[in-house]
Amino acid sequence: MSPELIVALLAAAVQAAAPILFATLGEILSEKAGVLNLGVEGVMAIAAFAAFITCHVTGSATLGLLAGGLAGALLCGLHSLVCQVFLGNQVVSGLALTIFGVGLSNYLGTPYVGIGTEGFRQFAVPLLGQIPVLGAVFFRQDAMVYLGYFAPVAVWFLLSRTSLGLGLRATGEMPAAAAAAGLNPQRLRAFGVMAGGFLCGLGGAYLSLAHTHLWTTGLSGGRGWVAVALVIFAFWRPGRAVLGALLFGGVMAFQLRLQAAGTNVPSSLLLMLPYALTVLALVFSATRARSSARKAAAAPAALGVNIEPEG
Amino acid sequence: MNVVIRRRETSLGWGALVVYLGALALALGICAVLLMLSGKPGLGGLAILFRGAFGQGYSLLDGLVKAIPIFLCSLGVALSFRMQIWNIGAEGQFALGAVGATFVALALPGQPWPVLLPLMFLAAMLAGGLWGLIPAGLRLWLGVNEIISSLMLNYVGILFLEFLVFGVWKDPGSFGFPMTAEFSPGGQIGRMGPALGLNLGKLHWGLLACPLAGVAYGVFLSRTRLGFELAACGEGERVARYANLPYGFLVLLVMGLGGALAGLAGSIECSATLGRLQPTVMVGYGYTAIVVAWLARLKPWPIAFTSFLLASLRVGVEVLELRLQIPAAFGQIMEGAILLCVLAGQFFLDYSVSVRFARLRRADSAAPGLEERA
Amino acid sequence: MKHWMRTLGALALTLGFVLAGCQKGPDKAAENATTAGELKVGFVYTSPVGEAGYSWAQDQGRKAIEKLGVKTEFVESVKEGADAERVIENMARSGDQIIFATSFGFMDPTMKVAKDYPNVKFMHCSGFKSAENVDNYFGRIYQARYLTGMVAGLMTKTNILGYVAAFPIPEVIRGINAFTLGARSVNPKAQVRVVWTKTWFDPALEKDAAISLLDVNADVIAQHQDSAGPQEAAAQRGKYCIGYNSDMSKFAPKAHLTAAVWNWAPLYESIVKEVREGAWKGGRSIWWGMDKGVVDIAPYGPMVPKDVQDKVNAQKALFKKGEDKVFVGPIKDQAGQIKFAAGVKAEDKDLLGMTWFVDGVVGSVQ
Repeated sequence: MSPELIVALLAAAVQAAAPILFATLGEILSEKAGVLNLGVEGVMAIAAFAAFITCHVTGSATLGLLAGGLAGALLCGLHSLVCQVFLGNQVVSGLALTIFGVGLSNYLGTPYVGIGTEGFRQFAVPLLGQIPVLGAVFFRQDAMVYLGYFAPVAVWFLLSRTSLGLGLRATGEMPAAAAAAGLNPQRLRAFGVMAGGFLCGLGGAYLSLAHTHLWTTGLSGGRGWVAVALVIFAFWRPGRAVLGALLFGGVMAFQLRLQAAGTNVPSSLLLMLPYALTVLALVFSATRARSSARKAAAAPAALGVNIEPEG
Repeated sequence: MNVVIRRRETSLGWGALVVYLGALALALGICAVLLMLSGKPGLGGLAILFRGAFGQGYSLLDGLVKAIPIFLCSLGVALSFRMQIWNIGAEGQFALGAVGATFVALALPGQPWPVLLPLMFLAAMLAGGLWGLIPAGLRLWLGVNEIISSLMLNYVGILFLEFLVFGVWKDPGSFGFPMTAEFSPGGQIGRMGPALGLNLGKLHWGLLACPLAGVAYGVFLSRTRLGFELAACGEGERVARYANLPYGFLVLLVMGLGGALAGLAGSIECSATLGRLQPTVMVGYGYTAIVVAWLARLKPWPIAFTSFLLASLRVGVEVLELRLQIPAAFGQIMEGAILLCVLAGQFFLDYSVSVRFARLRRADSAAPGLEERA
Repeated sequence: MKHWMRTLGALALTLGFVLAGCQKGPDKAAENATTAGELKVGFVYTSPVGEAGYSWAQDQGRKAIEKLGVKTEFVESVKEGADAERVIENMARSGDQIIFATSFGFMDPTMKVAKDYPNVKFMHCSGFKSAENVDNYFGRIYQARYLTGMVAGLMTKTNILGYVAAFPIPEVIRGINAFTLGARSVNPKAQVRVVWTKTWFDPALEKDAAISLLDVNADVIAQHQDSAGPQEAAAQRGKYCIGYNSDMSKFAPKAHLTAAVWNWAPLYESIVKEVREGAWKGGRSIWWGMDKGVVDIAPYGPMVPKDVQDKVNAQKALFKKGEDKVFVGPIKDQAGQIKFAAGVKAEDKDLLGMTWFVDGVVGSVQ
């Protein structure tokens, strides 16, 4: 592979990673608060449409971005309602949300297929964009990718440096103790789920505003599921989420380029690569860091367990 | 006004039926409104949906046929959910089961069914079971979370199936299309109708696997020592290890058995409805099974009913799409809405809710011991 | 104890339902039969109709025969396994006299249902089986592919053409081969790079696949999937693209050279006419080409120069006359082995089961 090709590959990896990263961060927030949300796929689908239609009507990509996030938060609010008020099983609610969200996005979106939006275009960051290699890979992207550089830091800061984050984590580990400490676990969970929904929504908005500039249905294409898996890969840590998203996006971009370069390996095997390598990477990091890291890699203790009303 | 929520101390009994019917009515009401919003007859649409799902003998049978793989996969995942092992790999195990059965069917053509079918089932359960053991082993020995490994193995399993069907197993007589040769007659599960002299539509002998698996599941859980130990492991790994239960063995067992059941489902679907292996055998039953298992709260009879009802719902929605010419996405919206309503409705199975007005409440609050939630 | 009684009660109820239904079963077929003279036709699609793509093109054919006073109905997004059998049978039951099953994966389900409904006429698209009451049919879209290949071969500057391919099945491989032969007929230096996505519709992935081809210096992108993702990728990089299924110029007006398009109307109209006149026969393989108007290419984009258009139009005129020399030897495969000797014309069964790439294609055929 020539140097230019490698730079192109890396730039493509960053772009492919961006939507997955937003969704993974969103799911981390939700799960840290103790709510498993398997509806990410549906949330991304709805958000992609909301972002597109807002951008199409108002002409503003920023408003579209916000609409995508809000639509994601709203749909996750439904999840919150079913799981927190009606104590529904989180797995079923999430899967139902996926079916519902993908269906609604296809239903509402079909009449608009083929309409273009301005969305976010790629532009070079002054100075940084001129750096050889690094500039081309990281700083000639679109505004949402740049937003994606800050998002993990923000989520990390929220979770580990603020009292709100402390409350969220306490709710995800032991809601009863959090309540005893004077926190309101129900409200914290609702916040975690909906803020997470907002981030997943940004991931969906990325697909319709930055990744493609033509509206079409089916944009989520399984990326929500990848995000759910990457949360675990990331050990619920924003930093590792970046690594996971880049790895997955990078391998996907790599196998496409391997094909374009004219390899003779059957495509079924190449398409397996991103999924197989994610598991292998996890196995590798598990064997490398034995017991000490395993504790850190554990899921929030109360993940998936609803808070019972007293009585 | 104040809302008081209490956990029910006794089971609702027949009242459960009222709760379910109420939730269903709400869901169907929402669907009717959605139908009317898109300019179709609301109540008429519901009637078509109902007739399509339950109105005719054949529609009931169609639902039953579609429920078979869902039921088997659902039993499989329910087993591991009972001990808090999050196996979402039924889809991949289903694929491997289909691959295993096909391997036998292609390797031993022309054998009579009493030889061939049991071997196919065995191979399918072995392949599915082994595929299920991978996440179990990774979890036990390397601490890899089973959600991610089983989910990723779904993709790998399906692509492996495609690799075989697009490659070495492609039928030379299929003009290059991705399908294996048709199984010899001994490798195809027959339909029940002709043998029994009844008009049973597409119902096939694979149905028999369901009561067998269901009874075995029930007996295993409520009559065997391992079953009790498994229930005890539901409290979590630490508790299990503290109580000196064979936790690791049980994890391997439930994942292996769950994979075997999903594999069995894959082989039945392959042999009874397609008669050969094609990538189209994968339609997502492995994921549907997870919804069914939890909606049914992991109990065998409710799993059977829920599988049948969900399968029938899909059959009915197809008829609705055909009669009213509504897009397929609309069917998805309806299914999602119905699932969410029924799920939320289940709340009333476990909790009683009473509404009190402020004045009354003041009197109540004087009484000690009344737990409530505002 | 109570629990068991409840379970048994519910079981008995269900059984009662099933048995009651079974008795009613057989005579229901006639229930919805339409009045004589009015023809009712069903269409089964594998993907959503949407606004472009394979099923959309099929649906244009459905709309065309509606104008002939035929009543039509369709179901979209039908999975190609057991579900398809049920949908097709439902149509047959409800009195559809002709059923078009428009995807390869519907072949076995169609054959099974056809056996039980001898009075219904079945048309299966892109397969190879037929029966007393089943025809299979398809169009020679490879002729259109050949023409688009010529356009691409004449327009490329790098001599690298990119092809975003769906699944490695003969229909797709045949298209790639015809495209390559077309390109090399006017530009022997042209080579075609193939990337498989193993999807029929994943806009983001298909766009990424096109970008990976643009990264290896391809300057014309062709595609087989339903989404316009590859078109957009080419437009964004200022390169050219070639659409499929329908005219895709609205997705990339500045990049869209032309497209290989389906036009099912003439075929479907002719089938309806045959049925009405009682001339319809089963057991046929109907494979129409450009001469009958089932396949065509979309209008050229403004960037295609006159001389290119003239060259391609000359070839198109030959196809229109029924002169089909796309797969006439000498044709070599990727390894350089002669597959068809000079002057030998490939038979339809060779085309139907084509699983190898011609010389000039770079990439794996799986």
